[in-house]
Amino acid sequence: MAAVIGQRRSGLSEALRSAREAATGNNIWSWLATVDHKRIGVLYGFTAFFFFLLGGIEALLIRIQLITPESEFLNPDQYNRIFTMHGTTMVFLVVMPLSAAFFNLLVPLMIGARDVAFPRLNAFSYWTFLAGGIFLNASFFTGGNIFQGELGAPDTGWFGYSTLTSTKFSDGHGVDFWIFGLQILGIASLAGGFNFIVTILNMRAPGMSLFRMPLFVWMTLVTSFLIVFAMPVIAVALFELMFDRLFDANFFNPAAGGNPLLWQHMFSLFGHPEVYILILPAMGIVSEILPTFARKPLFGYPFVVFSGVAIGFMSWGVWVHHMYTTGLGTVANAAFGVSTIMIGVPTGVKIFNWMATLWGGAIKISTPLLFAVGFVGMFTIGGLSGITHSMVPSDYQQQDTYYVVAHFHYVLFGGAIFALFGGAYYWFPKFTGKLMNEKLGQLNFWTLLLGFNLTFFPMHMSGLLGMPRRIYTYSEGQGWDTWNLIATIGAFVIAFSVSVFLVNLVLSIMRGEKSGSDPWDARTLEWSLPSPVPHYNFKEIPHVHSLDDFWHRKYTEDEAGRPIPIVAGAAVDDEEHDGHDIHMPSPSYFPLIASSGFPVIATGLIYHTALVPVGVALLLVGLYGWAMEPATEESA
Amino acid sequence: MRINRSTLSRAVYAALLLGLLALLLSGCDTDTPQNTFAADGEVARDQRDLFYLAMWPAIGVMILVELGLVVILLRFRRRRDDEVPAQVHGNTRLELAWTIAPALLLLVLAVPMMSLLFKLGEEPKDDAFIVNVTGVQWQWLFEYPEVQGPDGQPLKSAPGDPLVFPAGRRIHFNVTSLDVIHSFWIPRLGGKLDAVPTRHNRFWLKADEPGAWSGQCAEFCGKDHALMKLVAEALSQQDFDAWVDEKLAGIKTSSDAAGAIPAAHPDGVN
Repeated sequence: MAAVIGQRRSGLSEALRSAREAATGNNIWSWLATVDHKRIGVLYGFTAFFFFLLGGIEALLIRIQLITPESEFLNPDQYNRIFTMHGTTMVFLVVMPLSAAFFNLLVPLMIGARDVAFPRLNAFSYWTFLAGGIFLNASFFTGGNIFQGELGAPDTGWFGYSTLTSTKFSDGHGVDFWIFGLQILGIASLAGGFNFIVTILNMRAPGMSLFRMPLFVWMTLVTSFLIVFAMPVIAVALFELMFDRLFDANFFNPAAGGNPLLWQHMFSLFGHPEVYILILPAMGIVSEILPTFARKPLFGYPFVVFSGVAIGFMSWGVWVHHMYTTGLGTVANAAFGVSTIMIGVPTGVKIFNWMATLWGGAIKISTPLLFAVGFVGMFTIGGLSGITHSMVPSDYQQQDTYYVVAHFHYVLFGGAIFALFGGAYYWFPKFTGKLMNEKLGQLNFWTLLLGFNLTFFPMHMSGLLGMPRRIYTYSEGQGWDTWNLIATIGAFVIAFSVSVFLVNLVLSIMRGEKSGSDPWDARTLEWSLPSPVPHYNFKEIPHVHSLDDFWHRKYTEDEAGRPIPIVAGAAVDDEEHDGHDIHMPSPSYFPLIASSGFPVIATGLIYHTALVPVGVALLLVGLYGWAMEPATEESA
Repeated sequence: MRINRSTLSRAVYAALLLGLLALLLSGCDTDTPQNTFAADGEVARDQRDLFYLAMWPAIGVMILVELGLVVILLRFRRRRDDEVPAQVHGNTRLELAWTIAPALLLLVLAVPMMSLLFKLGEEPKDDAFIVNVTGVQWQWLFEYPEVQGPDGQPLKSAPGDPLVFPAGRRIHFNVTSLDVIHSFWIPRLGGKLDAVPTRHNRFWLKADEPGAWSGQCAEFCGKDHALMKLVAEALSQQDFDAWVDEKLAGIKTSSDAAGAIPAAHPDGVN
């Protein structure tokens, strides 16, 4: 090993060097070794979209099972595993990494940087996320013959409440895969969180003070801090559960004085910041789309920033609202009821500010704008049902019913997913140089809006009519049949809508209309670059003079404050430039090698400890090579 | 002409929304077995009324925001490609107003919330009837500590037996579990309380009149969570006393008195 870093270049070192050089073209190696934030963003996006389809198929299976009372489409065992994987997938493998895709694609461009602070750590985040996602889903194959419907996979819900997760009540390896899968994903999130905090604080272009940052960058910063503080909480909880399951420890074993509620406290203490980790990036996306399409600055930028920061802090003080019915006592419930009421305030502020941004604007009705407005409309409904949850005594009725399922889908689907779709349509031209098809985009939006509401609005009703969550069957005569039928129909409308998006994506990549560098007349720095963005981003690091700097390069104002286009237009940074004198970080295989160690270690801990040293060796080789390799290739 | 069209579409949207709302609210009024709106007890009724107190303003805000969005989109559409509006950056007074006003409104909601919360948390009164509830995969077992059998042991239910209690009195439940976390819930009498191993959670419910209701476990508890149901029967005090006598007579004659915790059986309790 020492030879690799010896003074003289050894054969191995030469081989590594030529392998790195092989990764500079546009081939498969170049993707495996990439440290370019844009490519990593694309990888994150496509991987998470694949998992979105997988989680969506799981959702369809759930909805088919519930279409009629007493359905026997799935047996209870299959149903429980599938709804567990649906929740786990959508939270950890879809919304979080889709947000990470946007962080990667946009943050360096928006702050005027050539890459993130730690490009190889960034690659490591992606590969670790991929490893965790594959590992988690591999659990499906551990239950016997999967083709005969014998599924593995965890069967304890995405929340994994103790004591159901003990080996006594959940044998098989589903829960073990869940524990290690989430741990691996947590490592990926933590690495990303640190990376973006450092990037945003240290890599901003000259003149880009914190209060000149685009709102999306602010929300990325808040989200990254939440990730850095929240992931360790669930990591500790998962370690304790791992000790209980693998080594007969007693953290959650009531028979030995352990406390099953300890799990709920830790999971919810992670879980509530987590929901804001899922929604704040979406709020950032919407805060970029609305001003662009209204041709107006974001109304009350400081208020929107501070309300986002306030949400970040307050999200740590509401976790007990997941536990009102666990018997913590009246005073605890009262305190957390009030804190839950109050977290509605900064959220409401944002909704009013978005509406005021649109008010008086010159709104161009096109797909990204429709998705952003759809977000505001649907998220509002989810927020309002959230207010009803803060009424603790009446929440005793709604807790663990379909009313809650309706609530969080309005927030996470009507909210986060709508915004992420809008973001995809909005920034697609920046990275491909092509526009997505507008007609298919609008079809995508309207069918999604329809399908979404058909699926999830009826769940308010079935919940209030007393339908508990997570039941694989129900009997007739409860008044739930119609609502479930409508919900299932809606789910298929959503499936149609997602197919439209998929078709649009493929068609637009292949032969989309040319977009130019600034198709939307936008306001932020990324639109000053050519589309697609060259690998070095900025030929020259820009000097930033104001919020919405790019807009002010295009428009000036007369005495009355009316904007006047600058005749010459903005000098778009699109001159021919081969970027030869710009040194970018070299590609590296070591992040991939290091990441590949994690699933091997986890498999070893579950099946045979002999694999553990193999995984550790992979990890160490990866980290060692990474540490010793020069970050930037010296000029030949 | 254009104004007519947008007025028309506004009216259509409003009519659609109201129609949808009417359809949804019709769902609240049915006599289905677990309808939380069809309250048959003090607790469920108080909880429903509190829910309405939050729900109606929420529906009002929802309609305002959704209609507002539609109106804004129609009114401020870009009509010419080079149209650039005045660049308004914000209005501190307005923003302070829509921060402080909702905070105050929400705090007002907290007052009835708190008062009901503390009422539901009250300790048993002298005339309360006590029932011990135990969840075990996937059935509910009931113990009546105030009803002593001839052997000095409290009366216990057999698997599948309904929960029986007198109507018109506060029933205090001590809820626990022997295995995983369950949640004890009879929707038409009131909200739920979790059954947590080694913990003894307490709450009270009350049935206005004699009757029978269905309930079911509300916390995911493994394979047959969906089948973990129960029947709750409230009897008049007279009928309840008769039921007690009958039960105690049954214990005297039966050699295998109910009581031992039965092994969970896969079919659950229907």
